[in-house]
Amino acid sequence: MLNPTITEILLSLMQVSYITLIVLVVSAICGLILGTILTIIVVKKIPVLKQITVTFSSFTRSVPIIIQLFIVFYALPPVIESMGFSTTYITATVASIVALSLYHGGYLVEVFRAAYRALDKGQHEAADSMGYTPIQKFRRITLPQTIPVALPGWGNALIHLIHDTSLVFALGVVDIMGRGQLIAASSYGMNQVKIFLIIAAIYIVLTFLSDAIIRFFEKKNKKFKLDSGLNTKGA
Amino acid sequence: MNFLILFEDFVQLLAVVPQTLLLAITIFILSILIGTVMALIQEYNVPVLKLIVVIVKLLLRGTPLIVLIFLMYYSLPDTVTFLSGLVGLDYNGTNIPPAIILIVAVSFTVASFQAETIRGSFLSINKGQIEAAQSLGYTPYQMFKKIIAPQALVEAIPEFSSSFLIVMKAISLGFMITVVDIFAEARLIATDNSYYVEAFFAAALMYWAISAITVTLSSKYEEYLHSRM
Repeated sequence: MLNPTITEILLSLMQVSYITLIVLVVSAICGLILGTILTIIVVKKIPVLKQITVTFSSFTRSVPIIIQLFIVFYALPPVIESMGFSTTYITATVASIVALSLYHGGYLVEVFRAAYRALDKGQHEAADSMGYTPIQKFRRITLPQTIPVALPGWGNALIHLIHDTSLVFALGVVDIMGRGQLIAASSYGMNQVKIFLIIAAIYIVLTFLSDAIIRFFEKKNKKFKLDSGLNTKGA
Repeated sequence: MNFLILFEDFVQLLAVVPQTLLLAITIFILSILIGTVMALIQEYNVPVLKLIVVIVKLLLRGTPLIVLIFLMYYSLPDTVTFLSGLVGLDYNGTNIPPAIILIVAVSFTVASFQAETIRGSFLSINKGQIEAAQSLGYTPYQMFKKIIAPQALVEAIPEFSSSFLIVMKAISLGFMITVVDIFAEARLIATDNSYYVEAFFAAALMYWAISAITVTLSSKYEEYLHSRM
């Protein structure tokens, strides 16, 4: 492709868009699970684990994601090997998913913790006095009221994650950024502006989609926000 | 992990901290200026300009920084040559240093977040304060300088310190367009002695330390401002 048209570039990028999507979706899900577990550790004040979690969360938040990607990329294979597993399946894609999951999880701890804090203390007391078991309390009282408060912060975290998936090409993953650079290279460094404008458009569409999804859930969960202790205007 | 090399790398990285901080502070100040202009345009409902700000903010929210950096890197030289041609200047845009391109790209991205912070801190000012200033016959400029700005600043400080850290982290992408900061230097060290994990971990520790210091300083400053109010 010496002088590709916009459609050709778009089609070529679409061929690898599944890699971007896999990295994005898998790390979003793993990050969500990790974030939830870590939040429970922090909120329940489990000794030692809590300090580790707080340190970990502060690390992921203060270090640029590109460094985290490189650290995981170079440090993961030796660690896996020392545990006695084969390192053949640790590709750049796997390393970036691991790094982004850790980053997303560490980021979400703060979001979820703040949302949990916003829950009115009376709610806990009421649930306890009604004789709810901890699991019942979590499912019926804590979770439904925490979700609507956490959603905007989570949406922001997702948008950060979408933006950060554009960096995995630095490890050699051929996602839409990697493919875009290959196209630019094969046309002797021409067309970069065209290519990056198209990539920007793809990411803008992704961001707006995730915004729309979050807003849909926000609307759906609005009714639970009644006594969250945060709303001052009344429902 | 070889701790001796980690320590050596860390010491070597200290040499690039000043230039990284300088770059970050430049971008930070520019982003506050641009962000304030954006916030004022939105607050005072300036016709046309408001629409432009809203569209620019939407586009910046959706575009990853690295894509924006590449876009600017490849399009800014031609644009500058063209624009300076329009005003009759013969300036060759290909001479623009990459650091300037990084500064422009990151400033605008961060400014779009700053605008929200600044707007929020303006909105947090009690309406009675403005009414009092008006009844005392302050001009809009006096009111901004003596009433609005000092109070808005206190509100905005925590956000400012976190956006400074965002800038610090964002310029680590400069290595893609050959700007040398802490991370780029760590890469150079790593390719030199091929201890990759140590070099990147040293860089990570450096960022961690800088953010810890920034957070401490900003909360001290916030306390100081609060005590003066």
